[in-house]
Amino acid sequence: MNSSLMQNFIKVAGFIGSQRHLVAVRDGFISIMPLIIIGSLAILINNFPPLGGFSFVGWMDGIFGEGNWQAVGGSIWNGTFAILGLLVAFSIAYNLAKSYGVDSLSAALISAGSYIMLVPWTEDGGLTVAWLGAQGLFVGIIISIITTELFRLLVQSKLTISMPEGVPEGVIKSFRALIPATIILLLIGLFQAIISVFIELSVFEIIFQVIQQPLQGIGNTLPAAIVIAFLNHILWFFGLHGTNIIGSVIEPLYLPLIEENLEMFKNGVPATEVPNLVTKPFLDSFVFMGGSGTTIALLIAIFIVLRHEQKHPYNEVAKVGAPASLFNINEPVIFGLPIVLNPIMLIPFILVPVTLTVMSYVALASGIVPRTVAIVPWTTPPILSGYLVTGGSWRGIALQIVNLAVAIAIYIPFVTAGARALKQNKEA
Amino acid sequence: MMRIILVCSAGMSTSILVRKMRNAAEERGMEADVNAMPESELHAHAGNVDVVLIGPQVRYLEDQIKEKVKGYDVAVAVIDQMAYGMARGEKVLDQALELKSE
Repeated sequence: MNSSLMQNFIKVAGFIGSQRHLVAVRDGFISIMPLIIIGSLAILINNFPPLGGFSFVGWMDGIFGEGNWQAVGGSIWNGTFAILGLLVAFSIAYNLAKSYGVDSLSAALISAGSYIMLVPWTEDGGLTVAWLGAQGLFVGIIISIITTELFRLLVQSKLTISMPEGVPEGVIKSFRALIPATIILLLIGLFQAIISVFIELSVFEIIFQVIQQPLQGIGNTLPAAIVIAFLNHILWFFGLHGTNIIGSVIEPLYLPLIEENLEMFKNGVPATEVPNLVTKPFLDSFVFMGGSGTTIALLIAIFIVLRHEQKHPYNEVAKVGAPASLFNINEPVIFGLPIVLNPIMLIPFILVPVTLTVMSYVALASGIVPRTVAIVPWTTPPILSGYLVTGGSWRGIALQIVNLAVAIAIYIPFVTAGARALKQNKEA
Repeated sequence: MMRIILVCSAGMSTSILVRKMRNAAEERGMEADVNAMPESELHAHAGNVDVVLIGPQVRYLEDQIKEKVKGYDVAVAVIDQMAYGMARGEKVLDQALELKSE
């Protein structure tokens, strides 16, 4: 491989992985993940499919009256997924301000306030819920970055009220944010007034239609899923944290797609008929089983191929890596085997996830396996994750097992070749 | 007392190594405080640490982390890849000791 090309690739990846705004976006999404997962699980419980002859929903209806108990999950949804855009506006601003070392809570509050200022109102004087949620996600990202940049510049320009000595730190802090906050909110207010007078459209509608919707359209395709799987694994092959680096792009693109699925599932649409095929849970549970590279299949392949050579280094790595691998953490395998810069492992490490992406896409597109209607933590073990993300379907588990079998079959010849090469190296 | 922080993306994968390093330190009768955390939390500990070791998968953060601890007496390095993969607590602890003695 051309080494200067490789150097450049690593440089670019490193830049993306450490670029302040991209990192803030990624960390902003990571911060709200607990709420998102709780919201998703609430919907899953509210609509849990019957297990054999036992209907959980029917049983709960019998005890508490039809639909009453689901109000709990419904309001959890309203406070989590339904206000995704607002949450993101807060948390990205918080993380960005933190990286600059300026008052992050103030920055986050200003950003959330600015976001609400721009949300279109309903005729009877309410906030339009649709724009507080996933449809407003890109506005949330843009607003948080603009207001926080302004805030930082204003704070650092010393355009603040200074206090005499002896005034408590908390008081000083609240006044320090006062002038920057005034200026920022004034600017946003002016902007909103001008836009509504001249264009009669809200910023939300414009950004949603011009940026967010087209990007989501691209995201929900097989080629996009393949590109993501490919990029992620090339990065890992160079020993760089793939999901971490491309996370800042993946999260904003794919969270609204799963939200759409969840929203419909919540309203009674079966999981086989929700619109979006490619989502983060799709990749996490059907492709990245055991971590990137579906390495849980690699470990099983090692245990099969080297069952008579317990002392082989591959076996030792596999044993160290197995427990973490059940929870989709695979750094031990990636660095220990190693997969990093190992030409023998490069082929299956990329071939397996790309193959599984295509297979899973076909399985979901044809309706054989339900689509993803739940978000689970990415550390959820395979089998359990396949069941949950498909809204409680055994077909989700079946797809995972088929995928694993295919992945093991692809890995086996490469494990055999790699193990032999390693042994010859040692003996030579 | 030696204070070591391991940095990775979420603090999850390095936590395996942390346990091994604590055990290794204990066996040597050495006093060491070993913790794992994501890079974003590091700034709060900049003045409170002797060695920062970076997981190889986020080695592109090295410059940024060095910038963060500038002005403090902190050694920063990327963890040896193989030792990291195999969670060799002994070896990584040695790496930390070497860094500090330089």
